[in-house]
Amino acid sequence: MIDGTVVELSRIQFAATALYHYLFVPLTLGLSFLLAAMETVYVTTGKPIYKQMAQFWGKLFMINFALGVATGLTMEFQFGTNWSFYSSFVGDIFGAPLAIEGLMAFFMESTFVGLMVFGWERLSRGQHLAVTWLVALGSNLSALWILVANSFMQDPQGAHFNPVTLRMELTSFQQLIFSPDAQSKFVHTSIAGYVTGAIFVAGISAWYLLKGRHVELAKRSFRMAALYGVLATVGVITLGDALGFVAAQAQPTKLAAMEGLWKSEPAPMPFNLIAFPDQALQKNAGTVQVPYLLSLLVTHSLDGTVAGLDTLERQAARKVEDGIPAVLALKTLSTNPHDTAALAQFKAHQQDLGYGFLVQRYAPDLEHVTPQQVQQAARDSIPPVAAVFWSFRLMVAFGLLMLAYFVLAVIYTLRNRVQDQRWFLRVAVWMIPIPFLANELGWLTAELGRQPWTVFGVLPTWMSASTHSVGYMVFSLAGFMLLYSIFIAVEMALMVRAIRHGPDESGDGATPPGPRPGLAPRPVPAAPRHPVPEG
Amino acid sequence: MKTFLYFVLFMFLAAVVILLAAMLGDLGAWYFAWLIGTAMIVLVAAAGAALLDTQEEQAADRSGPAPPRPS
Amino acid sequence: MELFATLQMTWWLLLGVLLSGLAVMVGMDMGVGTILRYVGRSDIERRVALNVIGPHWDGNQVWFVLGGGAVFAAFPLIYATAFSGFYVVMLLLLWTMIVRPLGFEYRSKLPSPRWRNAWDWALFVSGAVPMVVFGAAFGNLFLGVPFHFEWNLTSFYTGSFLALLNPFAILCGLLSLSLSAMMGALTLMNGAEGALHQRARGLAQVAALVGVALFATGGLWVHALPGYQLVSGPGAGVAQTPLQQTVATITGAWQSRFVARPMLWGVPLLGFAGMLGALLAARAGRSHLGWWLGALAWIGVIGTAGVSLFPFLLPSSSDPSVSLTVWNSSSSRLTLLWMLGFALVFVPLILWYTSWAFWVMRGKVRAGQIARDEHAY
Repeated sequence: MIDGTVVELSRIQFAATALYHYLFVPLTLGLSFLLAAMETVYVTTGKPIYKQMAQFWGKLFMINFALGVATGLTMEFQFGTNWSFYSSFVGDIFGAPLAIEGLMAFFMESTFVGLMVFGWERLSRGQHLAVTWLVALGSNLSALWILVANSFMQDPQGAHFNPVTLRMELTSFQQLIFSPDAQSKFVHTSIAGYVTGAIFVAGISAWYLLKGRHVELAKRSFRMAALYGVLATVGVITLGDALGFVAAQAQPTKLAAMEGLWKSEPAPMPFNLIAFPDQALQKNAGTVQVPYLLSLLVTHSLDGTVAGLDTLERQAARKVEDGIPAVLALKTLSTNPHDTAALAQFKAHQQDLGYGFLVQRYAPDLEHVTPQQVQQAARDSIPPVAAVFWSFRLMVAFGLLMLAYFVLAVIYTLRNRVQDQRWFLRVAVWMIPIPFLANELGWLTAELGRQPWTVFGVLPTWMSASTHSVGYMVFSLAGFMLLYSIFIAVEMALMVRAIRHGPDESGDGATPPGPRPGLAPRPVPAAPRHPVPEG
Repeated sequence: MKTFLYFVLFMFLAAVVILLAAMLGDLGAWYFAWLIGTAMIVLVAAAGAALLDTQEEQAADRSGPAPPRPS
Repeated sequence: MELFATLQMTWWLLLGVLLSGLAVMVGMDMGVGTILRYVGRSDIERRVALNVIGPHWDGNQVWFVLGGGAVFAAFPLIYATAFSGFYVVMLLLLWTMIVRPLGFEYRSKLPSPRWRNAWDWALFVSGAVPMVVFGAAFGNLFLGVPFHFEWNLTSFYTGSFLALLNPFAILCGLLSLSLSAMMGALTLMNGAEGALHQRARGLAQVAALVGVALFATGGLWVHALPGYQLVSGPGAGVAQTPLQQTVATITGAWQSRFVARPMLWGVPLLGFAGMLGALLAARAGRSHLGWWLGALAWIGVIGTAGVSLFPFLLPSSSDPSVSLTVWNSSSSRLTLLWMLGFALVFVPLILWYTSWAFWVMRGKVRAGQIARDEHAY
C-alpha cells in the first residue's frame, strides 16, 4: 500500500509543476501564430514596420519560450519519477503520443526556433517566413499530442486491459487520436492559447499607446491582436461548449460537479448560476438558478437530462461490487497466467476493474469487503464539487469578459480610434492576467473533475503514484518551489525590462548584424514584392 | 523542364493536402476545423493590418501634408 | 523470428540510436557548458562560445526529451521503474537541466558581470552534472539496482540515493563527462577562432585521452563484476510480466555476448578508435573530422554497454529474477508497430532539417558581430 500522504504530496507536486508550466505554454501557442501573421504581412507588403513588429514580439516570445521548454522537461519525466504505477499501467498507450510529440512536433519547433532568432540575415524572406510558420505549427502540434495523451486520461478510448501483462494496451490508434475528447480539447486549448497571445500583445500595445511610445507599431499590433483575439475567443467558447457535451457522455461525474448537480432532476433542468456546494452534506448551501438553461447547455435540447451525483454514486456502488471479483481474478492470474477459471472470472467482471481498485484502498486484500467500505469507495467516486464548480464558473466568466473586451477592441481599432480611448487602453493593460488565470482554471476544472481517477473509470489516483518516502517528496517539492520561484522572478524582471526598453527603433528595425564571415548574406530584394498602391 | 518539375511537385503536394483534408474532415471534424480556423484567424489579422495601412494613407491624404508615415 | 520479437529487437536498436543521438547532440552542448569557464577567459569569448551552439542547443535538447518519450512508449516498465527508483538522481538531472535553457536565453540579457558570472556557473553545473548522471546511470545497470514488484507490478526501490554514486558508476559518469567535454571542445574548434580555438584544441586532446583511459579501466572492471544471465522465462516475442522468469548472477556473464560472437568486439574497438581518432584530428586541427569521429566514439561506448547488457535493460540486484529485459518490459506489438511507423517517417525528416539548420548557420562566430547583433546570446 502506498502512503496516502505520499500520494497527496505527489498530486500537489504534479499540479504545481503543471500549472506553472501552463503559465508559459499558451502564450507560446498563440504568440507564435501571431508572429507568423505579422511576418506574413511583412513579406507580402514589404513594409519594414512589420519586420520590426515580428522581431520585437519575437524577443518577448523567446523569453517566455525558454521557461516553457525548461519546465516542460519536468513534465516529460514526472510521470516516471512520481507516477510510476500509472506509467507502467497505461504506458503502452500514454507513452506513444508523448514520443510522437517529440518526433513530429517538438523537434520541428525547437530546431526552427533557433533559425527564427538567428536566421534573419541568413535566410531569404520567404524562407524565414516559412521557418516562423513551422515554429507556430510545431508548437501547436506539440499541444495536439500532449492533449491526445491527456484525453486518454479523461476518456480511455482505443485500449483494453490485458490480463497477461497486467496493464492497459492499445487496441486502436485511430480511436485514441480521434476520440471526441481529444479533438475538442485540443482545439479548445490551442485556441485559448491564441486568446492569451492576443491579450498579451494588445495589452502591451495599449501600454505603449498610453505612453505615446512606438505608436505606429503599437497601433498595428493592437489591430492584429484584436482581430486575432475576437475570432479566437468565439472559437474557445464554441469548443468549451463542445467539451461540456463530450464530458456529459464520457465523464458524467465531472459534468455533475461542474454544474453543482447533487440530485438528478426531470427535464428541463435549471442552471446553477451561483451555488455553494457542500461535499459533506451533498447539497448546495444556497443557489441562484436560471430555469431551463442546463438542459439547453449540456444536451442542446429542452427535454434532455444529465445524471445527478446521487444517481452516479448509486451506480458506482454497483460497479464497486462488480469490480471486486475482477481484481481477485487478476491476483490469481498474476502468479499463474494460464488459470482458465480466473481468466473466465476476470472476463466476466473486467469492465468494472477500476472500481475494484477503488475499494482496495479500504480493503487491501479484498477478502472481506464490508458494505460500508463499498459505500466509502462509491462516495470517493465524486470529485471535489466546490473546487470544480467554481473553477469552471470563473473560467467561463473570464471567457465571456474577454469576448466583450475583444468586441469593443475590434470596434475601436477598426475605426482607428483606439489610441483616443484612454480608459479602454487602461483596461487593456489590466486584462493581461485574465487569460492566464482562465487557462489555469481550465486545467483545474479538467483535472480536478477527473478525480478520483488518473484514468477515468480505470485507474484510481491513490494507486498511481510512485512508492516514495514522505521525506523524498518533501525534498523534491521544496526544491521545485525554490527553483521555480527564482525562475518566475527572473523571467518577469526580464520581460518587464524588454517591454520598457521597447522595440529597437534604429532605422528599419532590421539592425543588420554582421554576417558570419565566409558567408555573404543572401541578397534581399530592396523593393517590396507586392507594393501597396499609394493613396 | 524546371517549371514542369515544379508543376509536378505542387500537384503532388496539392493531392496530399486534399487527401489529408478529406481524411481529417471525415475522422476528425474538429481537427479539420482547427486547421481551417487557424488559417482564417491569421489571415484576418493580417488583412486587418493591411486595412489599417490603407486607412492611415487615406487619413493622411484628407488632412493634407502628411504626419510622419509608418514605413 | 516472428513480428513481435522483431519489433522488440528493432526498438532495442532504435533506443540505442536515440541514446547515441542524445549523447552526441546534447553532450556537445553540455560539454560547451562544462568547459565554458576554462576556454572562455573573457566575457566576449564566452559569448562567442555560447553563440556557436546558440542556434542549435534547443533543437539538440529535444534528443533528450525524445529519449525519455521513446523509453516511455517502447519500454514503459523501464520508464516507470528506473525513473522512480533513481528519484533523487533524476531530480538532480532535471533541476540542472532546466537551468540550462535559461542560462542560454537570459545570461547576456543584462550587462552586469555578476549576473553573467552567476549564469556561467549555472551553465557549468547544468553541463557537467547531467553528463555525470547519464554515465552513472549506465554504470548502475551493470551492477544491478535494488528493486522488486508487488503482484500487480507496483515497483519498490529499496536502495539509497548514495548507493547510486558508487565507484564504478562514478567512473562511468566521468567517462561520459570526458566524452562530452571532448565533443564540446571540438564543436568550439569548428565555430570559433583565436585563443578560444586553441584552448579548445588542447582540451579536446586531453579529454579524449582521459576518455580512452576511463573506457579501458571500465572494461577491465566489468570483467570482475558479477553479470546477469537469463536462465528461463517465456522468451522473446511473448506477452509476459517480469514475474515469470529466473535469472542467475554469474561473474563474467557481461562478457558472454562477446565470447559467443567475437565480431562484437568491434563495438568497443569503435569506441577506442573514435576517441583516438578524434584526438589525432584535434591535434591536426581537423575539428570537423574529429567531431564525426567523436560521434562514432559515443556510438561505440553506448553500443558496448548495450551489447554487454543484452537482453537486460534494468537488472535487479535485490531480486534478480524480476530483472527487466527487452522481452518483459516492452510495449505491446501494436504500439511498437505504430511507433516504428512514426519513427521511420520522422527520424529521417528530423535528420534532414537539422542538417539544413546547421548548414544555414555554418561558419565561424566572431566577436565583432555579437556586439552588433541584438539577437545574440
